Amino acid sequence: MSEENKKRESEQASNREAEREANEQDKQQEEPKEDSSAQTDGEVHVEPSGKATPNKDAAERALENQNPAAEAKAEKHEEADKAAKAEKPDNAEKPEKKASEQAADGDDEAAAKKKAAAEARAARAAERAKKKAEEEEKPKEPSPKQPVLDRLVDILKEHAGADAIEEAYVNEASRHLPTVIVKADFWTEVATILRDHAELKLHYLRNVTGVDRETHMEVIYQLINLETKQDYAVKVKTDRDQPAVPSATPVWSTANWPEREIYDLLGVDFPGHPDLRRIMMADDWEGYPLRKDYSPADPEV
Amino acid sequence: MKGIAKGLGVTLKTMTQKKVTYKYPDVPLEMPNRFRGVQHFEPDKCIVCNQCVRICPTECITLTGKPNPDPEKKGKVIDTYDINFEICILCDLCTEVCPTEAIVMTNNFELATYSRDDLFKNMEWLDDNNTNVRLENSTNPQAKKGAK
Amino acid sequence: MIRTEEMLLNVGPQHPSTHGVFRVVVKLDGEQIIHADPVMGYLHRGTEKLAENLNYTQIIPYTDRMDYVSAMTNNYVLVHAVETLLELEIPERAEYLRLIVMELQRVASHLVWWGTYLLDIGAMSPFLYAFREREMIIDLFNELCGARLTYFYMRVGGVKWDAPEGWIDKVKAFVAHMKEKLGEYHNLVSGNEIFLARIKGVGRYDAQTAIDYGLSGANLRCTGVDWDLRKSQPYSLYDRFDFDVITRTEGDCLARYEIRLEEIRQSLRILDQALEQFPEEGEIMGKVPRVIRPPKGEAYVAIESPRGEIGCHLVSEGKAEPYRLKFRRPSFVNLQILPKLLVGESMTNLITILGGIDIVVGEVDA
Ligand code: SF4
Ligand code: SF4
Repeated sequence: MSEENKKRESEQASNREAEREANEQDKQQEEPKEDSSAQTDGEVHVEPSGKATPNKDAAERALENQNPAAEAKAEKHEEADKAAKAEKPDNAEKPEKKASEQAADGDDEAAAKKKAAAEARAARAAERAKKKAEEEEKPKEPSPKQPVLDRLVDILKEHAGADAIEEAYVNEASRHLPTVIVKADFWTEVATILRDHAELKLHYLRNVTGVDRETHMEVIYQLINLETKQDYAVKVKTDRDQPAVPSATPVWSTANWPEREIYDLLGVDFPGHPDLRRIMMADDWEGYPLRKDYSPADPEV
Repeated sequence: MKGIAKGLGVTLKTMTQKKVTYKYPDVPLEMPNRFRGVQHFEPDKCIVCNQCVRICPTECITLTGKPNPDPEKKGKVIDTYDINFEICILCDLCTEVCPTEAIVMTNNFELATYSRDDLFKNMEWLDDNNTNVRLENSTNPQAKKGAK
Repeated sequence: MIRTEEMLLNVGPQHPSTHGVFRVVVKLDGEQIIHADPVMGYLHRGTEKLAENLNYTQIIPYTDRMDYVSAMTNNYVLVHAVETLLELEIPERAEYLRLIVMELQRVASHLVWWGTYLLDIGAMSPFLYAFREREMIIDLFNELCGARLTYFYMRVGGVKWDAPEGWIDKVKAFVAHMKEKLGEYHNLVSGNEIFLARIKGVGRYDAQTAIDYGLSGANLRCTGVDWDLRKSQPYSLYDRFDFDVITRTEGDCLARYEIRLEEIRQSLRILDQALEQFPEEGEIMGKVPRVIRPPKGEAYVAIESPRGEIGCHLVSEGKAEPYRLKFRRPSFVNLQILPKLLVGESMTNLITILGGIDIVVGEVDA
């Protein structure tokens, strides 16, 4: 490979590298945050000025060297005292000089690019923050499905008793899906009402999902009325140590195997199920693989 | 009997048509350029950034780097690079993330052997696998935002 | 004296008609089945568990391997779920490409079913006809995304590759070719008296049973229920096209056979329109954050795969990996009705009924 080529390539590499580096920083910044705001991305939390410096740095330093990968590691260290570094401009100056010797033309360009990218990112972040603030100011519009949910709650309260429902909300992320959380004790009764009530007629059970929430277990039933095309989700929560949810199989035959699967993989008991045994794993399998704290007996497999 | 006769009519008509079967393996199969075949690895290009290892969904790449033998230069060069083709699913992700195109796909696909051990390919083998290298590599759609 | 005791018989796990590794334990009284118990899990790879440790892009190739006869729809259901949570806009060109490959996939999948089903019940040559046409689709896919079976074509926010030069014309040519061949298929098999005697009236159930068992796809539509998610809960761009949902009322294997063949025709109709409307230019990737982290929340999305409703329940905690990912696999749910259908049938009908449900064992076991 010619010298030219090599140089160009390494430039390319370091460009990408620097980009990735920036990305990595995002990641590191938000990793410890696990609340819902994490989604809005590191970009929001990152100060534009703090960002530009290490970014520029990364690009230049990578250029200076044929091997930015090693830099990547060094960079991580530096991140920790990013602030300190920003105060010491001479630190950043040195590689710049060296770099300009080695790759005179590409250097400035790359640096400028990085800077522009960082600026753009900062601008985007600001915009997003603004948008978010605006959103918060406006009171959230009630979902178009709110009346549907209210009606469902009324029906259930009327027929199954006022305590049957723990919580009811519209899951807007899932195409405005009306969702109710039903107490396990009432579930069999509620299921029958859901299926037979003249207004609901939820004859079709689409899906059953079990989720290990670490504090408790959840079993989620997705129902739909084939004529009105209105769908609902019903959640049943249960204790994690002794999980048990009354089986829905007598009401909808569909629930049979999915419930067996949940029993198999999550260990939820379904009293009333006609044939509750393992379905995917071997009959003598130990433990419930989909639980969050599951560790396989033989990690090699 | 009418239905059967009709069916036989189709059979007879087809008999006179051109053959559509391939003569593989007597005649090698040409794969289109985008085909994801067994990778080619070029040690000189690799910058030991570990991206391919991290993205691989089946964890079938193992690599080690060593310090650059040239004391003038910093960083590492590749020492060993192995792909376990028992579990590689040829998903294209490693070639997609590689910043230097050190690892690229080829259009070669013949891997069958008599022993599983032979499916463990090392750096030399991957370097020698340099025929039919794919032209379009590293087209990470996410990075390029829809560039053609 | 004739001994008349019951006999226990294992069909599978290595039985050619199961198209995978799947076993039915049947109890026989002479030729008659008096009890059937499907045993599965031989192909269980724990996709849902694996997914909890992978980021979203890495999960997509795993979905290819669930229903390996229809990988494109599997890809779609996952990226669709993530996009729903992210509220992403997909560029039009990308969405058209997705739709085109999904419909081609439906044709390919039904062709595989048609060929192998007839093979199961003893007709060898239709298989060769079906694979002749399927090979064309696979070649098209191979050219588009570089794989013949496990495509890994869709990404969150768009698709990986744009259509190569001339690809759209090739698809157009294929659609025209396929229309012609469909008539040939009907001539070849549909009127065959032996074939009709074999499947007419076999494995019959009514609409109520089908709904109670949560059947979907052709298994549901063969009882007269007009339910196709492409029409009932339109996703992607399906509301832009003109096509019919094919239903039959007989509820037997023949009805399912007819529906699947007719669905090929409908898919070709959709393809015709989609290729006509296909935008000349455009992005193939939307604005996707570099690291995909759907916001905290959950979503259930469902689409119509060739086998029925394939759904994806995604629970996100705002991280790069899903907290819980559950697939509603149509083969798995549809198969539940098998023990019920088999009781009282003769042993020879086991294959006819099992094949008629159209399962892919990779999907049953996930
Ligand atoms: S093709 Fe996929 S599975 Fe194979 S080594 Fe690359 S990333 Fe890993
Ligand atoms: S991604 Fe490319 S450059 Fe980085 S370690 Fe892998 S092969 Fe080497």
